[in-house]
Amino acid sequence: MFHTRYTICMITIDRLIFSYPRSNFDLKIERLEVNSGCATAIVGPSGSGKTTLLHLIAGILAPNSGAICVEDSVLSSLSDADRRRFRLQNIGMIFQDFELIEYLNVIDNVLLPCRIGNVVELSAATKQRAEELLTQVGLKQHLRKSVTRLSQGERQRVAICRAMLASPAILLADEPTGNLDPVTSDQILNLLLTSVQEHNATLVMVTHDHSLLHRFDQTVDFAQFLIPAMELTGHAPGESA
Amino acid sequence: MNINSAVYLATRSLWWFRGRATTIVLCLTLTLWLPVTMRLLLNQFRAEIVKRADATPLIIGSRGSQIDLALHALYFDSVSPENTTMTEAGYIQNSGFATAIPVHIAYRTQSVNNVDGVPIVGTTVEYFEFRNLSLQSGDGLTTLGDCVLGSNVARNMRLAPGDRILSAPKNAFNLAGDYPLRMNIVGVLAPAHSPDDDAVFVDIKTAWIIDGIGHGHQDLTTENVDQDMLLHKSDTSVTASAAVLPYTEITPDNVGSFHFHGDESTFPVSAIIAVPQSRRDQTLLLGRYASERSEVAQCVKPSKVVQDLLNIVFRVERLIWISSLLSAVVTALLLSLVLFLSIRLRESEMRTMHKLGCSRFTIITLVGTETAIMSLAGLSLAVFAAWATHALAADWLRSLIF
Repeated sequence: MFHTRYTICMITIDRLIFSYPRSNFDLKIERLEVNSGCATAIVGPSGSGKTTLLHLIAGILAPNSGAICVEDSVLSSLSDADRRRFRLQNIGMIFQDFELIEYLNVIDNVLLPCRIGNVVELSAATKQRAEELLTQVGLKQHLRKSVTRLSQGERQRVAICRAMLASPAILLADEPTGNLDPVTSDQILNLLLTSVQEHNATLVMVTHDHSLLHRFDQTVDFAQFLIPAMELTGHAPGESA
Repeated sequence: MNINSAVYLATRSLWWFRGRATTIVLCLTLTLWLPVTMRLLLNQFRAEIVKRADATPLIIGSRGSQIDLALHALYFDSVSPENTTMTEAGYIQNSGFATAIPVHIAYRTQSVNNVDGVPIVGTTVEYFEFRNLSLQSGDGLTTLGDCVLGSNVARNMRLAPGDRILSAPKNAFNLAGDYPLRMNIVGVLAPAHSPDDDAVFVDIKTAWIIDGIGHGHQDLTTENVDQDMLLHKSDTSVTASAAVLPYTEITPDNVGSFHFHGDESTFPVSAIIAVPQSRRDQTLLLGRYASERSEVAQCVKPSKVVQDLLNIVFRVERLIWISSLLSAVVTALLLSLVLFLSIRLRESEMRTMHKLGCSRFTIITLVGTETAIMSLAGLSLAVFAAWATHALAADWLRSLIF
């Protein structure tokens, strides 16, 4: 059983089939629901499609068939441009390898979504928010520092701030603690969970660290999706505390 | 993405990859600078050449190459045409169509302070007035043996009024021929930015003395003269032996002994500059030399001769343009390759931008802005470098031309 704090379904995946061109990889999900305000962990072996799922939810990839609904929007039926706009407006992404822009300093990396899209205005208030976010994660002293001079943990925090800048409804995190030591890993997870709680956001996080699963509302085990022709009905098979 | 954000991100990126950006900008600068500078310098070259030719209405000289005659009279070119005589100067003067200014350039000075000798221009005072030449220091030509230096000659040879300079004989082994003449420097001309800056001016009679037509030596008609110096003596004439040496310097003491043998109208001049009073006179004088004087001399319009010459020379310009165009195309291709490869190297950055919600158009805008900034910087640098080269190399170019 998994615990949910909200009854509204934030993300619904129905009869999803996705495959990469010229690849044997197939991702098939009969049905998966993530409730609003939930912190969901996705676990599974490497190559099972966890990152692909995040990219599908974010609209970076489009499914071959099936539907991905996020709140009221059927993401899978939107055009690439509309998905991009939707992503800027509603989704914050934290990548496994942070994906910070090396030629930008800390605050400019956080403000990058404002510069590349017209969804969030690059105003004084936005800059102030970016500074506040960075201050919250203990990077106040490093606002103008090049991201190449930061430690792994500091970079991860910058990536989190960038994802949180527009106060997105959904936060997708791809193994944000994968490269970190246990202490830093714990700090990062605390930060993420606190942030989503504060902003009433939905967190979907890919992780290999099973010791962290008890801190999530819901766990989805991707190993089950690897079983051919397995049909999933109802809620996702993972259990959470 | 608005333009401010595009410029901001592009400048950050360029600064971060400044080594690569600087290389591209310098490549662009050099590619643009070369043809622009060549164009500017060639235009200046053309203007300088044509300016002096246009300022000289007519040149009369012996029949032969018009180009040799014009270049010799205008730029004191070392290729000497056949000499004409003072008869032509007299003919022009007597025709009433023009003022005749004889120019005789047969000798050069000896080298001074490791500076090569310069042409000695024998002429009349009208030449200085015609070319608007003024004195920077000293005085003008007053007596035989005086000379006035062009400004570059005085500067390069470190000579001033009161110094002396020797002419260089054409043949050191011809004892009966010309002797070097030590000339007194009486003045230095103000810079004229023309070939006049690189010449030594003497009175035409001094030029004839250098040429060996006139000379001075001790008086052989006196009673107490050394008999070894005489080959023959009669009541009417004296024939001197080779023991009599001509004076190699004209001084107040010996100036009276200088004399010319023969009729002055037969004395040589390299060319005669004719300055007509009007266009009608010019046409009439040209007509005379195209008809009744055509057998003995020619009259050329320097502007036409030089323009014809330049038209031939500047055909080479097309080759320069073609080579510049080819190098520009090659550079453009190489820069495109560099840009393409650098974009490939930054593929992960582009992918991140896309994942964050950046459109393909925005990424193209970013790359385009970077390219535009580098192009603008390259163009600005090229224009500045061309201007600086043109400004700084003007004197050097002039020295190449003249």
